[in-house]
Amino acid sequence: MKRTIAITTTAFALLGALSGTALAADKLNYYCSAQPDWCDLMAKGFEEATGIQVNMTRKSSGETMAQIKAESSNPKGDIWWGGTGDPHLQAAEEGLTEPYVSPMRGELHDWALSQAASGNDATIGIYSGALGYGYNEEVLQANNLPEPACWKDLLKPEYKGHVQMANPNSSGTAYTTLATIVQLFGEDEGFEFMKALHKNINQYTKSGSAPIKAAARGESTIGIVFMHDAVAQAAAGFPIKVVAPCEGTGYEIGGMSIIKGARNPDSAQKFYDWALTADVQSRSLEVDAFQVMSNKAAKSSPLAPDLDSLTLIDYDFEKYGSSDERKRLLKKWDDEVSVLPQ
Amino acid sequence: MNRTVALWLLVGLIGFCVLPWYVLDDGLWNFQWLFDGYPFDTDYAPALFLLLQGEKLWLAPLAVLLVLPIVALFADKGRPVFYRTLCIAGALGLFYLMLQGFSIGIRGWNSDLLNKLLGELGDRQFGFGYGAMLVGASLLFFLTTGIAARGAVNGDEFVVGAIGFVIALVGVFIFLPVLNMLSSALQDNDGHYSLLIFFTKFLDEKIWGLHCLSSSRNCGVAWNSLSLAILVAALTTLLGLVFALVATRSGLRQAHLLRPLTVLPIITPPFVIGLAIILLFGLSGSVTQFIAELLGVQPTRWVYGMPGILIAQLLSFTPIAFLVLIGVVEGVSPSMEEASQTLRASRWQTFITVSLPLMRPGLANAFLLGFIESMADFGNPLVLGGNFDVLSTEIFFAIVGAQNDQGKAAVLAIVLLIFTLTAFYAQRRWLGKKSYTTQTGKGDGGAPVTLPKRVLYPCYVLVAFWGTFTLVVYGMIVYGGFVELWGLDHTLTFKHYITAFGVALTENGISWRGSAWDSFWTTLRIAATAAPLTAAIGLVTAYLLVRQNFKGKDSFEFGTMLSFAIPGTVIGVAYILAFNVPPLELTGTGVILVISFIFRNMPVGIRAGIASMSQLDKSLDEASLTLGANSWRTFREIILPLMRPAILAALVFSFVRAMTAISAVIFLVSAEHNMATSYIIGRVENNDYGIAIAYSTTLIVVMLSVVALMQWMVGKTTTSRRASQRAPDIVAIR
Amino acid sequence: MQTTSIKSKAASVEFKGVSKVYGGTVKAVDNVSLKVEAGELVTLLGPSGCGKTTTLRMIAGLEMASSGSIRIGETDVTLLPATDRDVSMVFQSYALFPHMTVLENVSYGLRVSGLKKAVVRDRALNGLELVGLDGYGDRLPSELSGGQQQRVAVARALVLEPQVLLFDEPLSNLDAKLRRQVREEIRELQQSLGLTVVYVTHDQEEALAVSDRIIVMRNAEIAQAGTPRQLYEEPADSFVADFIGEANLMDVSIEAVDQANGTAFIDLAGLAIRLSARNLPPGPAMLAVRPNRIELLPSGRVDALPGKVIKSTYVGNHMEYVVQLEQGEWFATSDDVEAVHVAGSAVSVRFRHPGPVLLPARS
Repeated sequence: MKRTIAITTTAFALLGALSGTALAADKLNYYCSAQPDWCDLMAKGFEEATGIQVNMTRKSSGETMAQIKAESSNPKGDIWWGGTGDPHLQAAEEGLTEPYVSPMRGELHDWALSQAASGNDATIGIYSGALGYGYNEEVLQANNLPEPACWKDLLKPEYKGHVQMANPNSSGTAYTTLATIVQLFGEDEGFEFMKALHKNINQYTKSGSAPIKAAARGESTIGIVFMHDAVAQAAAGFPIKVVAPCEGTGYEIGGMSIIKGARNPDSAQKFYDWALTADVQSRSLEVDAFQVMSNKAAKSSPLAPDLDSLTLIDYDFEKYGSSDERKRLLKKWDDEVSVLPQ
Repeated sequence: MNRTVALWLLVGLIGFCVLPWYVLDDGLWNFQWLFDGYPFDTDYAPALFLLLQGEKLWLAPLAVLLVLPIVALFADKGRPVFYRTLCIAGALGLFYLMLQGFSIGIRGWNSDLLNKLLGELGDRQFGFGYGAMLVGASLLFFLTTGIAARGAVNGDEFVVGAIGFVIALVGVFIFLPVLNMLSSALQDNDGHYSLLIFFTKFLDEKIWGLHCLSSSRNCGVAWNSLSLAILVAALTTLLGLVFALVATRSGLRQAHLLRPLTVLPIITPPFVIGLAIILLFGLSGSVTQFIAELLGVQPTRWVYGMPGILIAQLLSFTPIAFLVLIGVVEGVSPSMEEASQTLRASRWQTFITVSLPLMRPGLANAFLLGFIESMADFGNPLVLGGNFDVLSTEIFFAIVGAQNDQGKAAVLAIVLLIFTLTAFYAQRRWLGKKSYTTQTGKGDGGAPVTLPKRVLYPCYVLVAFWGTFTLVVYGMIVYGGFVELWGLDHTLTFKHYITAFGVALTENGISWRGSAWDSFWTTLRIAATAAPLTAAIGLVTAYLLVRQNFKGKDSFEFGTMLSFAIPGTVIGVAYILAFNVPPLELTGTGVILVISFIFRNMPVGIRAGIASMSQLDKSLDEASLTLGANSWRTFREIILPLMRPAILAALVFSFVRAMTAISAVIFLVSAEHNMATSYIIGRVENNDYGIAIAYSTTLIVVMLSVVALMQWMVGKTTTSRRASQRAPDIVAIR
Repeated sequence: MQTTSIKSKAASVEFKGVSKVYGGTVKAVDNVSLKVEAGELVTLLGPSGCGKTTTLRMIAGLEMASSGSIRIGETDVTLLPATDRDVSMVFQSYALFPHMTVLENVSYGLRVSGLKKAVVRDRALNGLELVGLDGYGDRLPSELSGGQQQRVAVARALVLEPQVLLFDEPLSNLDAKLRRQVREEIRELQQSLGLTVVYVTHDQEEALAVSDRIIVMRNAEIAQAGTPRQLYEEPADSFVADFIGEANLMDVSIEAVDQANGTAFIDLAGLAIRLSARNLPPGPAMLAVRPNRIELLPSGRVDALPGKVIKSTYVGNHMEYVVQLEQGEWFATSDDVEAVHVAGSAVSVRFRHPGPVLLPARS
């Protein structure tokens, strides 16, 4: 009898000690929408830097947005890092994320701050990347095709069946493309462009970066994507040539937001500030992330497209990031473009 | 004193007075609350302490209903006061528990109507925790004990309790979420109900359009899915039959080598076959390039779309049809065929007029399986679909895509459900109860008739071709994990395995450096938790279905088998919608993954149980009953030990399915609980085929060892005890 | 038999107006009342589907009566499940638990009733000894012959000292020779231990051999109950007459009844017969004649009916004949295998003592 009591007491004491230590550490539930190795790098880096235990979920920005929305009445995540800025803005607009003014703001590029302004401080820019396209040089040669250089080149009939882009309904990248074309050429001409492009498209993929990956593997020729995605494929050894369209192009700003009702708001703010430091942002090169980082002092890759040398349009994130405009454009694209024969 | 009532009374009181009523933030296995202000802190307090402090007063009626059965404690079992008290306390208690749970949520009253009627509540509550769960269980079993005492099912408390328990589980974890999701199909964006919106969405031409008949445009997704599923079902059935015939009727000694082939697709993680197909038949695929060069034509993207999905699904699902059909072909009694031959029918006539018709139920079964698997398949269309959209992927992108339209997803899910349920129902109607009384094929001398040559030779050709093809595909998969950049740079390397599963010895012991370890251990843990629970619930249900008679058994059976016809995508979406808010807060936990696996794979456990239990003589249980054992004891001491092979099969199958499942998982994984398949998808999305394949290959090896281990264990039990009982094939029981 | 610690707690079984209805319409047992006295062996006999097995299972508690009441001894058990009734059953398939040894099988019932281990073992070994299987305890059922398995099943049921012991067609899986031996053993056990036994069979010979009383069932009802001799010699109707032993049945007319001594007169094609009226009134009735009570004599006798042998079969210890008479074809047997009537020969047909039995007319 005595022994049983002793054992039980010890067991409870141990249990208490164990759970005590496990809990003593702070936690951070981290939703990541960037490429997996970058997500890993951030999670492990933050753990090492602060000792806060990080639980990471990696999902695309659309999936994460859906999850945050579904969980809105009882949030499970603390911070959402990475992924194109539109869903971050959308989340801010729908009140799913929490405004926060970081002390790091002074070190950031203007575009990162204007992103914060559009989102009422509920989001901020962490990196930016310009839209463009890439092509597989070997496949292009094998098919005796000319090298494209501009958006309008893609409309040439010889590229029929060689161009791939994502479906704007499912991909933020493709929606950025649609919005860019509309801003670049005006709405009417822009839709004429999309209709003409439609004839050359061999597949509308579901995911944003899939077109360049298909091109990298020779499953397609040209993929309309963010240039840094194309650079990554080239860096991985695929015969991909990156093109910055001559007419100028739009860009995305990768976002970061603190989820409203976060269970660990302190850890979330710590991560927020930490993720904006130059040292942390420079480490993106370790994982072949070729975006331009938002901290002015962050290092950039020689392979990365230099945002300054590109003709960038004045992308209206507020207008084209709003859900009404998005719905309107997508419906128009659905009704006028996607139904056309190819 | 009635011991059953005493037990549940005790359980209920512990739930009410001792354990925390509400769900704990830090998970089920964290006991920090014991030292953190328990029992007075309102976050951790048991219901009794809440009430004593004047908090959450709406819980008070539960206390009354919970102690009411004391009246029954000393009453005679046959007396009305006994069963009436129990029935009233149980039924009212459960109803009230649910009512308060669904009415009061995190923001007070859950509906505007209640706010208007009763005014703002000014208080809130979280989801059910330990305490509420125990009280719920106690109330449920009060009710079932009461019903049993009224004479239901021969007054058997265990059986009525088990029925009630299964109904409660199926109701909460299948019907509640699915109905909840379907109701969102009837809502517009502002949450108002509207039939018009539903019909506009339901009759959308993107779902039902028929443009492909007249122009180059695509048809509606419903037609795409339907035509694909019918094609896949027909072809897998045909191929499966061919394989089964060669395996059993060719007289070829090597034929048994076909069986191992069948295990492969079951343990293959999603996407992997799709990737291999791209590398073979894609635009730059080796086969496409070779043929294009041979014929001097431009290679095309022919594989993207219907052809690619078809090939991949045939590869994946043919073995399932094979395993279903091999049992059926073996079951055709040779004496029937011999009878036919003595009646002067030729081999060919015998095959056409006797053998084939006898296999009809099996063919129907294989067809249904192929149909549902194809409808629910998610991985292959995602990789190979091209512009050929199918329902399962459309549902996924309706939720996660930039459109983020839950209503649309629900409508598409309804279309998918209509198809699968119709097929499911049609097959059951057609076969009736026959599917359970399998022909054992024993005690029936005579050697199986070999096939007529004009059937046999085409079969050989097909089997040789398809077998080689399967081997090539799997060979490529294994190879793909060991090359630098699959499809481009074929230098051999171990780097993918090291990245994923690297292990380093440091001074603190082993350091699991690889990036895949985390999800790998989580997956193993969750699959290993889900498997025994799945098997247990499945076998109890099978026991109720095979061995007991009660009112509403047909509906009970239909309900429990229903989740078989609900695609995983639908379950995933439904779960995240239903279980994110009180009273059942499960999202983000490992529990929700475990539960989703249990109810996705429950039909497997049920079928395994039914198959093996119908081979057990019913008089065994009856003998035990007349010898004075109650049904629980009978179940434990007689039925369970005799069903060991079935239990093992169900265990392994649900384990393997949990490891390879993707469609529901992708919605339910969370920061702490990331699963292998979800990790693999991430890698595939990132064009990181090397790691994805290395990981998949590792999973295949792990699961192969598990399957082999199981077969070894079954073999052992067989030789030592009952030589006649054969382990059911793990797929044939689906 | 052997000295044994197994005692009998034999009790009576009583059905009062018991019915069993399946699915609301199918009546398996219809308003049956019966009583089995303590220490008695009663057989339920009838063709398949007559309700005899359902009746047995209702005694066991494996089926619940839809209406009526069932008593075992002094207790009303109508609502009591099988577990709670003091009844054991020997199944047609024996239902030995294949994963337990013989001894474990026999101990099972004792063990689940919560007896001490030593007591359980002791009584189980006694049980095995009683059926002559001492030393077989460690075998698995599959390692025993059919007859031995049957005995294990009996031992398993016996060791619980049940108030009532039930047998459901216990001999049907045995070959003919063993069947006779085992049924004698069962009868011997029953008599020496004074058990109440209810026994179901469809084999009338088996029923006649083992029973104190037989209850013949037909279409969910009791057709007749009585001792074997009563049933054989005084069947209540044509069904019982034909089912217990064989009978040649023919329509006759009762000319007159002598109320004083209860005899009836009938005229069978000119042959006047006097026999027990069995309370039948004058008018149409039926005559049942057992095959062994028909005597075939050389033709030409006036005190017999003229007939012609159409089939004559030698079956070893007796002859079987089919005889064509004016009244129809009769089936007859004769112990005389030497003086054979060949097919085609004319014969005179007469009744042996005690002769035919009158039955109510077909309804």
